[in-house]
Amino acid sequence: MRSLRHRTLINAVAAAALSVAVVSIALFAYIDAVTLKRFDRVLEDRHTQLVVVLSDDAQDPAALEKGLIDPAYQRPYSGRYWQVKAPDGTVYTSPSLFGATLVAPMPPTDRLGRWTGPSPNGGQLRGMQQRITLGNGSVWTVTVAETLTSLLAERYETRKSLLIAFGIVAAFGLLSAWLQVAVVLRPLGRLREEVATRWDRGARLDPNDYPSEVAPLVSDIDVLLARNRETVARARRQASDLAHALKTPAAIVRNELVTLQEHGRDVGPALEALGRLDAQLRRSLARMSAIHSAEGVGGPIHVAPTLDRLSRLFGAMCARQGKTLEVANAPDLQVWMDRQDLEEVLGNLLDNALKWGRTTIRLSAISEPGGAVLCVEDDGAGIPEAERARVLESGARLDVSVAGTGLGLAIVSDLVSAYGGRLELSTSVRLGGLIAAVHLPHHAGLLAG
Amino acid sequence: MRVLVVDDEPALADQIRRVLLSEGRVVDVVHDGVEAAYLGAVESYDAIVLDIGLPGRDGLSVLKEWRTQGIATPVLILTARDGWSQRVDGLDAGADDYLTKPFHMPELSARIRAMLRRRAGQASPVFEKDGVAFDSRTNRTMVDGLPVELTAQETAVLGYLFHHAGRLVSRTELSEHIYPHDSDPDSNTIAVFVTRLRKKLGAGLIQTVRGAGYMIGEP
Repeated sequence: MRSLRHRTLINAVAAAALSVAVVSIALFAYIDAVTLKRFDRVLEDRHTQLVVVLSDDAQDPAALEKGLIDPAYQRPYSGRYWQVKAPDGTVYTSPSLFGATLVAPMPPTDRLGRWTGPSPNGGQLRGMQQRITLGNGSVWTVTVAETLTSLLAERYETRKSLLIAFGIVAAFGLLSAWLQVAVVLRPLGRLREEVATRWDRGARLDPNDYPSEVAPLVSDIDVLLARNRETVARARRQASDLAHALKTPAAIVRNELVTLQEHGRDVGPALEALGRLDAQLRRSLARMSAIHSAEGVGGPIHVAPTLDRLSRLFGAMCARQGKTLEVANAPDLQVWMDRQDLEEVLGNLLDNALKWGRTTIRLSAISEPGGAVLCVEDDGAGIPEAERARVLESGARLDVSVAGTGLGLAIVSDLVSAYGGRLELSTSVRLGGLIAAVHLPHHAGLLAG
Repeated sequence: MRVLVVDDEPALADQIRRVLLSEGRVVDVVHDGVEAAYLGAVESYDAIVLDIGLPGRDGLSVLKEWRTQGIATPVLILTARDGWSQRVDGLDAGADDYLTKPFHMPELSARIRAMLRRRAGQASPVFEKDGVAFDSRTNRTMVDGLPVELTAQETAVLGYLFHHAGRLVSRTELSEHIYPHDSDPDSNTIAVFVTRLRKKLGAGLIQTVRGAGYMIGEP
């Protein structure tokens, strides 16, 4: 669907074009009428002047030239003309007609007749003609005419300045429409930002903060967000309860099996099956948790407190084994992840490092464009390059015959990719063993897209 | 060595009890948090195995309460929730170690032994003093490299004194940590055990402070 801004602007342009067109047509018609009326009035005055002069000089029509002193009547084809037809049919004309005569398209009457027709030297002219009966009873046909050049020029000028004015008005209209759209749409833009930021903080949206047109939508979004958050939390609780419910019986079965084994019974296959059950359970629960987490519980969190917590735990564990834990923390670094999941990721990696490292393990966090990279490295034997991909393979069949290996890394890989990050394994330059680098984005792909 | 086992699952609690008993420990078992909080506060234990998911009161809050009351008994947390976050939470609440269900029983035994040793400031599982070596893993005792047969009670007394080496231990304290809390031992029997131990291990190891108690090593 076309954007609201787009729709409103197209609407505004169409409305402006239509109103400018209608107003122009009406106004131009009015202006044409007004200018023609004024032109006619001037021409009528000339006609009256000619009649007055004729009534004085009717005995000598040739003297009319002297009575009409306007220089334009003298200049050939000046555009301003008069013509008088005597009762005997003799036609007297202004010198400007230069021998031509004015021919009205209608016969002369006692009323003043008007016409528009061709000018003797090209172009259009406006003429007026009337049959005049003088005091002595003689009947004359008196005609004046003037080319329309000046009228057309005047019209052209008026239209031009009007069109410029209309253009300015239309531009203002469009600009104000654009501003109006921006103002009207601002709450919607804010809503989008707030949905993302408030979700991070677990805060609610307040419909009263929004215009009444948008408020119902805001309230619906708020309900949806809250419901989603609840669903995720409930799913996590259920997963956790399920784990608890399954693990205690598993522990009891294991202990009974071990007791039987101590009494010389062969329970190897049963123990092995139980081990497989445990491993599968752990991984399934971790994946379930990862999927639910990434679907909404996450938010931008500072990594520093998590690194502190884990270094307290692993610092103590290292000390017991005579190993050293180095920590390079980053106070301001943030990633988009649930804190529990981040601790699960780093905890598993540190546990691995503690298992394989000989003397030193190292936990560090640094910033990278768009996110952060958290590294756990050790000085153990590392993982051969050929096996790294297999270890990370998501959903790969677990080899439970190798105690503890792989499962932790697979869980880490599942969790990290659920948050749009990735886990990379390589050889530590600093310590020589394995380095597990967790790349995590600052923002969730979910809402930021 | 007296251990409190707190787990709401009777079958599992019983399995733990049996294993610990077989190692010569005195074991009390409770199944809910409220009773655990009370027992842990009033009785003197050498170690506590504490399940976190308990009915009545959750294990972490019980543990926090003990720590604020100044009870420093080593606590091993037992939980079905195996996240690292929970492990850190447990540590921050004052736990000494953490074990995830399902676990191997020998692992539990080893963790408890290690906790006790750490509390005694002892790195090696074998305690040695004046030619006497006590192996906390097997409860075996050697004198100058030769094994010595000790009864369960004698082993318990020796083990307790070794774990509190350098500190004067009263007869009452010894009997509290060697007999279950519902039995009523005659504190003179402790004196009998000590006398037998001195006979078997040499008189120099355990010093007697008349009217006060016994001690291994220097204060």
